[in-house]
Amino acid sequence: MRWIRVAWLIGFAAASLPAGERVQFNRDIRPILSDRCFACHGPDKNNRKSLLRLDVEAEAKKDLGKGRRGIVPGDPAQSEVYKRLTSTNKTLRMPPAYAGHDALPPAQIERIRRWIEEGAPYQAHWSLIPPQRPTPPAVRNPAWSSHPIDRFLLARLEREGLSPSPEADRTTLIRRVTLDLTGLPPTPAEVEAFLKDTSPGAYEALVDRLLASPRYAERMAIRWLEFARYADTNGYQTDGPRDMWRWRDWVIDAFHRNMPFDQFTVEQIAGDLLPNATLSQKIATGFHRNHRTTAEGGIVDEEFRVEYVADRTETTGTVWLGMTIGCARCHDHKYDPISQKEFYQLFAFFNNVPEKGFVYNFGNEEPYIKAPLPEQQAHLDSLDRAVREARAKVEALRPKEEQAQAKWETRAARARPEIDWNVNEGLVLHEPLDSPKDLPAEPGRLGRAARFDNQRFFDAGDVARFNYRDPFTFAAWIRPESPKGAILSRAEDYFEGTGHGLYLIDGKIRLHVIFRWTDLGMRIETARPVQLNEWQHVLVTYDGGMKAAGVRIYVNGEPQELNVLFDQCIWPIETKEPFRIGAGGGLRFQGLIDEVRVYDRALSPREAAVVPLLDSLTRIAAIPAPARTPAQADKLRMAFLERYAPGKAKAARSRLAMLEKERQRYYDTLPTVMVMAERAERRDTFLLKRGAYDAPGEKVEPAVPAIFSNWNPAWPRNRLGLARWLVDRQHPLTARVMVNRWWAELFGAGLVKTVEDFGSQGEWPLHPELLDWLAVEFMESGWNVKHILKTMVMSAAYRQSSRVTPELLQKDPENRLLARGPRLRLAPEVVRDQALAVSGLLVERIGGPSVKPYQPPGLWQELHGGAGYTPDKGEGLYRRSLYTYWKRTVAPPNMVNFDSPNRETCVVRQTRTNTPLQALNLMNDVAYVEAARKLAERMLLEGGKTPADRIARGFRLALARAPREAEVAAARKALARFEAHYRARPDDALEYLRQGDSPRHPKLSPVELAAYTGVASLILNLDEMVTKE
Amino acid sequence: MTPCEEHRLHLTRRALFGRASGIGLAALASLLPEPARAKGQPGLPGFPNFAPKARRVIYLFQSGGPSQMELFDYKPRLKEFSGTNLPESVRMGQRLTQMSATQSAFPVVPSKYSFAQHGQSGAWVSELLPHLAKVVDKLTFIKSMHTEAINHDPAVTFLQTGSQISGRPSMGSWVAYGLGAETADLPAFVVMISPGQGGSGQPLYDRLWGSGFLPTRYQGVKFRSVGDPVLYLTDPAGFPRENRRAYLDALGELNQLKYAEFGDPEISTRIAQYEMAFRMQASVPELVDLSKEPAGTFALYGEDARKPGTFAYNCLLARRLAERGVRFIQLYHRDWDHHGNLPKGLPKVCKETDQAAAALITDLDQRGMLDETLVVWGGEFGRTVYCQGRLTPSDYGRDHHPRCFTVWLAGGGIRRGFSLGETDDYCYNVTADPVHVHDLQATILHCLGIDHTRLTYRFQGRYFRLTDVHGNVVKQVLGA
Repeated sequence: MRWIRVAWLIGFAAASLPAGERVQFNRDIRPILSDRCFACHGPDKNNRKSLLRLDVEAEAKKDLGKGRRGIVPGDPAQSEVYKRLTSTNKTLRMPPAYAGHDALPPAQIERIRRWIEEGAPYQAHWSLIPPQRPTPPAVRNPAWSSHPIDRFLLARLEREGLSPSPEADRTTLIRRVTLDLTGLPPTPAEVEAFLKDTSPGAYEALVDRLLASPRYAERMAIRWLEFARYADTNGYQTDGPRDMWRWRDWVIDAFHRNMPFDQFTVEQIAGDLLPNATLSQKIATGFHRNHRTTAEGGIVDEEFRVEYVADRTETTGTVWLGMTIGCARCHDHKYDPISQKEFYQLFAFFNNVPEKGFVYNFGNEEPYIKAPLPEQQAHLDSLDRAVREARAKVEALRPKEEQAQAKWETRAARARPEIDWNVNEGLVLHEPLDSPKDLPAEPGRLGRAARFDNQRFFDAGDVARFNYRDPFTFAAWIRPESPKGAILSRAEDYFEGTGHGLYLIDGKIRLHVIFRWTDLGMRIETARPVQLNEWQHVLVTYDGGMKAAGVRIYVNGEPQELNVLFDQCIWPIETKEPFRIGAGGGLRFQGLIDEVRVYDRALSPREAAVVPLLDSLTRIAAIPAPARTPAQADKLRMAFLERYAPGKAKAARSRLAMLEKERQRYYDTLPTVMVMAERAERRDTFLLKRGAYDAPGEKVEPAVPAIFSNWNPAWPRNRLGLARWLVDRQHPLTARVMVNRWWAELFGAGLVKTVEDFGSQGEWPLHPELLDWLAVEFMESGWNVKHILKTMVMSAAYRQSSRVTPELLQKDPENRLLARGPRLRLAPEVVRDQALAVSGLLVERIGGPSVKPYQPPGLWQELHGGAGYTPDKGEGLYRRSLYTYWKRTVAPPNMVNFDSPNRETCVVRQTRTNTPLQALNLMNDVAYVEAARKLAERMLLEGGKTPADRIARGFRLALARAPREAEVAAARKALARFEAHYRARPDDALEYLRQGDSPRHPKLSPVELAAYTGVASLILNLDEMVTKE
Repeated sequence: MTPCEEHRLHLTRRALFGRASGIGLAALASLLPEPARAKGQPGLPGFPNFAPKARRVIYLFQSGGPSQMELFDYKPRLKEFSGTNLPESVRMGQRLTQMSATQSAFPVVPSKYSFAQHGQSGAWVSELLPHLAKVVDKLTFIKSMHTEAINHDPAVTFLQTGSQISGRPSMGSWVAYGLGAETADLPAFVVMISPGQGGSGQPLYDRLWGSGFLPTRYQGVKFRSVGDPVLYLTDPAGFPRENRRAYLDALGELNQLKYAEFGDPEISTRIAQYEMAFRMQASVPELVDLSKEPAGTFALYGEDARKPGTFAYNCLLARRLAERGVRFIQLYHRDWDHHGNLPKGLPKVCKETDQAAAALITDLDQRGMLDETLVVWGGEFGRTVYCQGRLTPSDYGRDHHPRCFTVWLAGGGIRRGFSLGETDDYCYNVTADPVHVHDLQATILHCLGIDHTRLTYRFQGRYFRLTDVHGNVVKQVLGA
């Protein structure tokens, strides 16, 4: 089996070497050495089995001692390599029999012999030499086409004794190019217009129209989303949601505006580092936040953070370099000259993001930004304006308000009985503990206080049910007699239990907000202890921001210095425990507690100072204003504004508060997107031995591998420099890799078939000159994507008929030489989108949050229980498939069935299988049954009166062509069978037509419609339907 | 698969289906099942590499990490150590999960459950597994399994694909790729999941039975317990089987016209795949129709075997799939992750699985199928000897433990009544005959007649294999 593989590698390039032609190292020799020798005699220094190294010319030819040399130029018989390859002694023969390797086939040995005889010249690996524009070769039949692409292809065909196929007929051609460039089929009207246009420029005009359509951008985006491992969830464990659709829409927009590919690259890799980066440029960097992230309990944070950085490094390598640099993560690359150290130098570019390994499971993880759509930004601006105006109004009324306050203060100072006030807004519990149930009471700070004996506690019932993102304030007067105890809690009654608790630990005030003690929650305590046997007021606030930084603790109104013990409050907390005063966390309280107050919001620092003030309003008002403490003044002011202010001022203030709330509510709904950012202080990067996060070796700096010579010292050594390097004119890979990939999409296989590997183990390009011509054309056009695609589809090669003759099948089963046009199964998205389009169900709208079309019930629950998948109603069912909600661990089955990658990691190679599951999918998935019904309605309504005409209409709608007679006959036979069935069983007809949410056309006879639905389904299941011909 | 191989298979398919092009389509359809059923899909040339002992695998994956010292790895001395802190000389600084790493103490908890020796082999089995105790003479235990991962996701992925990072093909895909299928009526690689009732289930992802970089036709097909057993299997309501036959006749005829005109062999393949879909529509419902199973079956497997979604039902289905020539049958039972409340959860999950797993062994043996079927039972790692969370007289939990765990194997190629490997008195470290995950994988492939170093696939310039660059066949467990 081994020799088959190598033969394949060398493939068409040099299966048989003409007698007169010189051996070329890159084309003829490197693939053999790489595949059969480099693993032990190649770049990986740790795996080198002897002194001999064959990937470096000088090493291969040097004296290994005793006059032995691996290669003696011109003299195979003296060359150790040749001697070993041909040795009949099994212990000496290479590759070694003892390791289970077979000998090289004779033809390869012969080629190596000739190469040595010819002087054994080495060449730098072809893909590392910057491309130059070659001249298209001369051909014997120049009349076929003057297009440079065709000249390159034809020269080869002529060498092989093949000739190109005739041009495909016009209906085939318009369907092919429309599907290729827009991912949707042409309408009958578009076909007709094209057929009518007999001008020589008709095809080019068609291509231009398609490239200008926004559908083109959507279609281009699909593959890019796969490269970017884009999804709507994080990909591990319960696979929680994230919001990256703003990035997805950025991609669509960029393709639509035909953003030059160099800019497209720079903005995605380093948009945030551009001077005065715009929102759009920041959104673009979402590319490298699309990797999977985990929220699995128990993981080691750093292990996964390293995983994310490695994913970025490897994805960049695959997408732009077409190289498998991930191989060098654990050891030096075995085939390509990339050392492990160089992997970590690339890694260093991506290692400076302020991020964590253990992430939030219910939305975007930091760093992320608000990314409002333009219309949302406009609305936000108008709300901001309204807030500003309302505030100005409040300010305008302030002098009058202050006069009124002064008057009120005079009255208040005389009020008998005294009046008092405390902060009320958001108060959900006020427990004065003046006569606590089941507990003794003593004189307290205000009225009486409850006495706790380290056993009994006060059960306040089902209040203060806060979750992890709910802001709150807990406040109480305490007079502790022991340094350890529970003040209040809503938590399981053991120390590590789930819930909220306010405790005294070693005399320090401690807040627990815990889901799971070990890894999910937060714990914060004051730096200094409180006084035993004295009254103190404690107040703690939390802003709901999932961070310990959002917690404040006050003692007697004074903010305290805090120590954060644990800070990972990112998981919902629910507990059935009651709200307990003087108990919780397995602790009790010894001493007095008075005036417990709980708010469902975080009080401000000024409010926190007011709450413990025991001076009544009357007393404070009696103090001359300059002599009042700030808290006293605040208390008067707050009370006045709430209770006693003039109506007009009150109205202005409540309007301001309302508008601020509205603004905040709206702001909270704005979409966010995860983006790249840089830490202020650069994180050190180390080579990681065996790739393990906890085995750091040598420290490394950001750099590109030494095999690349085009690094410009003027570029910064950060992502921006890296991005500039990737799209530098002298970069040998990026342009080649990209044009090769688009070529593969249009023609079925890349010019380098291994679209993901341009390294030593990759295929030698079938048409190296054509690849270079395209790469240079792409760069010199200003990295113009539409231009290069147009160049490809304008070629005569692209326009050929895809008919296969036995001769072609024999000579070129995979159609690598392109003596015929491409004939390929459509991409998964196109299969579905096409059915929606031809049935008239498709709802075309660009962008927005992902949608949930039909999916068999229960798939999500099978993974992890929960609420599962609820399909949308209405248009969400009928949007293009690139908008389908993508849950990585349960990817949409009707995409995966047709070979969609699951979006876990970057995938650039398309596969096209042909399975029974696809047949079941197309026949029975409600999406296709509904599409068949709607297509049938169109056949009946638009197709005329006779069955033949109606069937013909179905073919025209679906396949852009008229059916042949035999096809009509076959379809009519089925139609007759279905009609007979539904006439006999009209209930079956109704049942069959009930599939899908769209209403059935009320005017059509169910029996007839059901029969035609069967025929329409037939059409949607034709091989031709799911194939680009 | 390389294009050369692809092309060869292609030719095989054409040989099977393509040459019938002159015959009427209905006739073609009627011709298809017999040769197809006989042949299935061929495997790679040269595979199996040597005479296989097993033709298929039934893998009873116990997801979550069963507690080895509560089930098979009897540790009488733990009673002496009860409540004492795990000595540093045993733990040796090995990493813990973040769930228990911050615990202040690591008190040893002995198993609550009693053990006894069973069978002629004298295997120790916990009182929680009375049925398995009766078949121990047919099993080989490996008590010295160890793995590299410490959390579920990477650990299950590691066991199923040989790598902790997802993206590699699963074991079943490798086997289907290498050996092909014995039936054309059912997929070569079938997956079934039972969730368990204890609520400690970890999620299981499609990628665990994914084909990675192998062609997607080698991926496992999940048989579901709700709705269609296979996605989209059932014809739409109001579209009965006779309509489907007429439909497929017309579809075949239309595609055949296309083939005559275009000559693309993919068209012939598509015709064949629609016919296989049609056969699956019959064969899968027949498979899950248990009405013809004698009452004795349910006495053996338990009454749960009547309920879709239970482990017992899946075990019974596994036997039926094996009878029908399915190559790799992967079960997952999902409820073994006992961080806390172990004394409540473990008996429950044992009760859910014990009888049916034993029944499967007995049933296969009675039918003469055990010798040609390799049955594997085990989870992704073991559990710690120390208590996680609150230790009370009646309650304890155990964290993930990759250093040692127990699996058992039975059937094709495996010794009967044997036990390999030992762990220390704390059931913490392996002390004799360690078996790494890659060794287990190599051994499973060996039983199927596959040299694990030769089952490779070239992707991104490298030859990948299930065992990465590791793995040694565990010769001691192989039968005569």
